[in-house]
Formats: sequence, structure tokens, C-alpha cells
Amino acid sequence: MRRGFIIGSALILLLAIAASWTAAQETAAPKAAGAAEGVKFASPILISSAGQSADVKMVGMMTKRLQLDAKVEMMPKPEQLAGIKTLIIVPGFSSKGLGAAGISQKDEMARVTALINAADQKKIPILMVHIGGTARRLGQSDAFNELAAKHAKYMLVVEQGNSDGFFTKLAGETKTPLGIVKKIPDTMPALEKLFK
Amino acid sequence: MKRHQISAVIILLASAAVSFLAGGEMLEMRAPDVFYPSASLTRTGRLSDYCPSLKGTANDTRVYYFEGAQSGPTALILGGTHGNEPASALAAVVILENVEVPAGRLIVLPRANESGYTCTDPMEGYPQYYSIQTPGGERRFRFGSRLTNPVHQWPDPLVYSHRPSGQQLSGFEARNLNRCYPGRPDGTLTERTGYAIMQLIKAEKVAVAFDLHEAAPEIPIINAIVYHEKAEEIALNAIFELEMEGINCSPERSPSNFHGLSHREWGDYTDVNPFLMETSNPIQGRLRGRTDEELVVKGVSPEYLKALRSGALKITYEPGGEPIEKRVARHIDAFRKVVSAYNQTSSEPVILANLPEYADIVKNGVGAYLSPSAPGERPPQ
Repeated sequence: MRRGFIIGSALILLLAIAASWTAAQETAAPKAAGAAEGVKFASPILISSAGQSADVKMVGMMTKRLQLDAKVEMMPKPEQLAGIKTLIIVPGFSSKGLGAAGISQKDEMARVTALINAADQKKIPILMVHIGGTARRLGQSDAFNELAAKHAKYMLVVEQGNSDGFFTKLAGETKTPLGIVKKIPDTMPALEKLFK
Repeated sequence: MKRHQISAVIILLASAAVSFLAGGEMLEMRAPDVFYPSASLTRTGRLSDYCPSLKGTANDTRVYYFEGAQSGPTALILGGTHGNEPASALAAVVILENVEVPAGRLIVLPRANESGYTCTDPMEGYPQYYSIQTPGGERRFRFGSRLTNPVHQWPDPLVYSHRPSGQQLSGFEARNLNRCYPGRPDGTLTERTGYAIMQLIKAEKVAVAFDLHEAAPEIPIINAIVYHEKAEEIALNAIFELEMEGINCSPERSPSNFHGLSHREWGDYTDVNPFLMETSNPIQGRLRGRTDEELVVKGVSPEYLKALRSGALKITYEPGGEPIEKRVARHIDAFRKVVSAYNQTSSEPVILANLPEYADIVKNGVGAYLSPSAPGERPPQ
């Protein structure tokens, strides 16, 4: 009787340790893109830049190839969220992009903050897609990256942009699922999984 | 003769000897680089064909035409807008010496601002030349200046006022070809050069045009394609294809309010689809340390490696350096991908063949794709 109790307790303890270890592994290593079970987004989609990099156009091109109901707006206003079911934010600073848009960095930050707040109020889920790698990290980019990441329901990141664990850390803090893909073209099947 | 007079004569003679030798080295840079165009070359011309006031000037540079047997659109490629960006010029030379054009037409200007190749930038300690090893021996190329030689255009205004926008920049930018588009037929030498290139694009009905560049590792726009908004779809498709091959490339939209640049003015004033491409070149950077021919060719800078490891700076620098073969390969591959993306939008294609692949240039070196020079051999011009 006593022996059976000890063996049973040891088995339960071992199972608990194994379960904790697996859970810890899942927290430490970001899941492969699109593998976050149950995370799904719906169309129509509004795609906006945060920082005016042209990466937003690349994401727009991929949604077009996937035949998703999506439109890219470089500087959408909160009113343009009407009827939208997903807001994709593509963060990354570009001085040329800001020049092309004729907007200052400060005004761009205010615009993106207003858009994100409006999406939160309307309960429109935000998908952050960071494809720009190291070119859209550090410097003036990280403020936009952080803003988008902290409000996202899911973060999809091209590996190079997370080489220092920046997005992994943010994902841990906000308990947001993070999908990592190797290269920009791998973003396309990951988006397909999230939307289809 | 007293002792102090003898000293004065010796110092004068020594000064004259140094000046003579330095002057000789300076004048030597006026001898143009020799190119060996591929057998597909159909004719050559001069930039003054498009702006007569350039005739006989330092910037009456040679224009190379490769006309395919089959009709089709025209592509234009410019190397050497800035003489201190060697991979841009060398990529144009590799294309010039290898390309076959079965359909359409290719026009190459390997030295867009020829005057910039007759000097180096003051205070930078740049080498005058760099050499590339080819199977038949070494080929030497001039390393030039970012700007038109002040001997050819002087003095600089205090403030350079771009025409026709009225945008104001520092005075020295008046000698920067990539701030002088669309140019003027009666302007400065650099403005006339810009004007001639604009006229070439119009007269030859160029459909897709490239301006190749390099920039310091600390400049944010590196390993990028800058495009005019009307060429966006072509640029994005090309970048997607580059990324598929594992070649990182950022899309950058041309700012509509920054004037004088090729990607802006070519697109605004002509029907062409313009693209400007950038690679990372340590010799242009502020942290580069020892500045010599080896840095031009191998692109290895311990100082940039230290900066990369410290993480204190945002730089585009690979731990193994930024060798010229990788930079040239990147330019040629991006050029090929953009032309291919353009062809998807055009009823007729421009077909370019026999251009070396990215992996082959990186593996075999640039020299494997340059014609070997032979003593006394002259280029078929």
C-alpha cells in the first residue's frame, strides 16, 4: 500500500516535471509561423505602415497573390477602419518613406497610435508583420516596432529582425504568440494559414 | 654661395621634384579606363550626341549600345555616377563585357560622371586605383570622386539651388550628378551631364533605367532598391524574387519632395521606370580605418567589425566583410530581376543573356567575368 503510494507519487511528479519542461520550451522558443493553434484572422483587411517603410507594399503584394480581401493604405485614418475585420501593421522606419509621404516622424507616431487605439476600441484584431530584417530594427524603427507589437494579437516576424531576441522578449512580456519565418517569401504561406 | 642660400636651393629643388611627381600622378588619372565590350556591341556614341554643349568636355563620356536582332524595349544602365562607389561602375563593366541581347536593346554608360574619375575626394586618403585579377592578368581601374572634378567645374556656389524645383543644398552638391537632374543644356558641366542623360532616356525611348550606387555601412538605405512610385509593382516583384534566393533587399520609395535624384527626376520627366540600387561599401564609411586598395576590393574593415560586435551602431556590415564580388553580384542580380519583372508588365520583352549568376560571381570573383587585358590591345570601340 505504502509502496504503491510512493510509486504513484513519483510517477505524478515525473509527469508534472515533463509537462512543465514542455511548457517552458514552448515559451522559450517561438513557434513556427502559423503554428499558433487557434489564432485566426478574418477579412476584409486594412494594411498600414508604421514608420512609412515600403515593406508595407511587399506585404500588400503578398496578400494580393493570396487573393485576400485586403487594401494597403500608407496613412489610413481611424474612420477607414469601418467594416474592417483585421488591421495589419507593418512596422519599420524609412526616412525616404517619410519623405515620400511628406510627414514627420513625430506625426507618423501620432497617426499610428491613433489608428491602433481606434482598432482596440472597435475590437479589431491587429496582426503585426515585420519583414524588414535588420534594416527595420534599432534606430528610429524600434519605437514603431514596439508600439505595434504591444497591441498585436499575433506577431509574424522574418527571422533576421529578431536576431537579438527583441520580438521574443516583447512576445513574452505581452504574452502574444510570435511566429518566426526564415525569409520574406515564407511570410506568404504563414499569412495564408492565419487567414484561411 | 652662402650656406643658407644652398639650403634654399636644395629645398626648392626638392619641392619642385615632389610637385612634379604629384602632378604626374594627378594627370595620370585623366587617362580613361579601357573596356572590352562583348561581341554583341552594335555601336558606340557619346553623351554629347544628346547635348552638344558637352562636346569636348570631360563628361563627353562614351555610350555603348547593344541592339538585339529582335525588336523590343530599351534598358539603360548607369555605373559611375559617383566615382568612389566602385561596385557600381564595375557591375556596369561586367555587364558591358559579357551581355548578349537577343531581343530589345541595352544601353550602358559605365562612367556616367567621367570627370569624377579624374580625381579623388580631398581629405579622404582614397587610393587612385584598384586592381582586379583576371585569368589573363591584372586589370586596373580608377577609383574616383563622388563629385565632378573642381578643375572642370569651379567655383562651387555657397548654396546650390536646384533647378527647376528651387530646392537648396550645400554648395558642393552642385557637382553631384545625382542632385543635378533634370539638368540644363546651358548649365554647369554637371547640369549639362544630367540634361544629356535625360535627353538620352527620351530620345532612345528607354523603358527601364538603372542608376547603380554604393553607400557607407552606417547609411540606412543599403542593400536596397529605390524606386519611383510608377515602378512600384516591378520593384516589389523583383525584391520578392531576390528574397526567394536569400538575397536581402529593402524596398524604398523615392521621396517626391527630394529633387535632383535620378529615381525622382527620370520618373517625373520621362516615361521610364527608374531604379536606384545601393550596396554596402566600407571605404565610404567614417569608421573605416586604414584606407587602401585592399579595402576597396576585399571590403574587410576591423573597425566596422568592432562596431558590429559592439551593437552600438546600426550598420550594414557582414562579419566576413563586404567584398567587391558580393557587391557586384548583388547589383547584377538585382538588375536582372528588375528587368525580368519589367518584362512581365510589357507586351515585348528585353532579353539579356550571358550575365553571370550571383553565386558564380561570389565564388569565382569579378575577374573571372572581365576580359583579360593584353599589352597593346585596344578595345573594339
